[in-house]
Amino acid sequence: MSGREARLLLTEAPDEGRVVLVEVAGHEVGLFRVDGTLHALANRCPHRGAPLCAGSVATPIEAGDNGLRLGQPHSIVRCPWHKWEFEIATGRSLVDDRLRVKRYAVRVEGDEVVVGNRDTAAAAPSTSQTSLRHDAADGHRTASRHV
Amino acid sequence: MLVDCDIHIGYETLADLLPYLDPPTRELVIHSGSNGLVMPSYPWNHPTGWVRHDLYDRHESHESNFTYLSLEVLRERHLDAYDVTLGIVEPDEAAAFSILPNAQLAARLCSAYNDWLLERWLQEEPRLRGMLVVPAQYPEAAAREIRRLGGRDEFVGVFLPGAARIPYGNPTYDPLWAAASELGLPVAVHTHYEGVGIAPPITAAGMPDYYAEYHTLCGSGMYGHFVSILCHGIFARFPGTRLAMVEGGLVPFVGFLWRLDANWKACRSEIPWCKRRPSDYVWEHVRFATQPLESPDDPAQLLAAIEFLRPSETLMYASDFPHWDFDEPEQTLRQLPAEWRDNVRARNATDFFHLPLLAPV
Repeated sequence: MSGREARLLLTEAPDEGRVVLVEVAGHEVGLFRVDGTLHALANRCPHRGAPLCAGSVATPIEAGDNGLRLGQPHSIVRCPWHKWEFEIATGRSLVDDRLRVKRYAVRVEGDEVVVGNRDTAAAAPSTSQTSLRHDAADGHRTASRHV
Repeated sequence: MLVDCDIHIGYETLADLLPYLDPPTRELVIHSGSNGLVMPSYPWNHPTGWVRHDLYDRHESHESNFTYLSLEVLRERHLDAYDVTLGIVEPDEAAAFSILPNAQLAARLCSAYNDWLLERWLQEEPRLRGMLVVPAQYPEAAAREIRRLGGRDEFVGVFLPGAARIPYGNPTYDPLWAAASELGLPVAVHTHYEGVGIAPPITAAGMPDYYAEYHTLCGSGMYGHFVSILCHGIFARFPGTRLAMVEGGLVPFVGFLWRLDANWKACRSEIPWCKRRPSDYVWEHVRFATQPLESPDDPAQLLAAIEFLRPSETLMYASDFPHWDFDEPEQTLRQLPAEWRDNVRARNATDFFHLPLLAPV
């Protein structure tokens, strides 16, 4: 039985554009890094329940003054099934205001990253992200797992 | 028991069909163009990928825009994962044979594909049943192909793409309908390749700019065939004919039927072989696949919108695996009233495709 928190070494935390899967209280949680900050989201798409982290971490394309422009690099996760996009930092859907991916708290203790349960995140959203210097962990091509 | 009426498989490249082709066609496939024969394809690309992203490694996939997944992946990620009792296999790129200008070449490619499908998939996996791919632009050859393989248990119907040179009710297709009727095989019209190859534009509005437009309008060919088949009296002229409309949505058919019923009352003398209201033929002869199930914010609006189709008797579950707009079985069924679900899950499809009852419905 997994604990209410997941711990992994800072060196195992994902680079930008990657996701690392951990398990918290029996639920799979994806750990992401956007602009140096770690975020944790449930590995479940709120649209139809797909394994969200099997999709892709991507850069949003937005309308610019003269056509298209790129948004914050690697700041969205795109569902593998229906390709709906979610902002990693907030969990919010870019296409449906009613949908939000469940967020989990992330904090750093020494050389470890601790991903807490979602109740903590809901009660204290400010703890759901942790700024970190961009550590040079080896990239994972697909979601790696630390349970 | 669960029957999935729309699973897509495809060859990795046309070269996979070489062993199943006659020698002259093999030469044509190898030496055409710059690097072998190339199929006509969509000018619109899905912006983030045609296929479910959890099924393959995008970086290692080939650059083609159609689906190639192995039988192992199909088993593990779909047939086993959802306990699919029987799955009806529809083509991917092979659907484009019907929009090739060269009808004789199309006929030979269809035969090779059907032999490949039989040997590599249907005989390897007993949960799969095939739809025969036939050259729609060459109805006499299509009829020959239906008679060549249509009697085998592994094949349960005839596939026609939504894209076509002319609508499928036109008398030029009579040989095809006659063969399907003779073999007792249903015909499925499935959205594919509208506006591509020898097919006319996807709508009379002209060429759309975006994939999102295309995918919203892609049922247009199916609606045209549906109305054509009804107006030409195919169901009255070819006894036992059954028609499935696959991946064209549900709500549009309601509007077209209401409009056609009204027009039939005023124009009956033009199409006197339609002895009954067109919709009356539908309840007996036509079935609709669920995917993509329309998803209004209020689910009750969907049920009200499709009630006219008599969904409990006419809907058949379809996943569209492994495409990006895949519908999971239980999520689809949960959106429908409980009293419809057993029929939609299996009974309507087993009746329609004459499938064996392999488990309790």
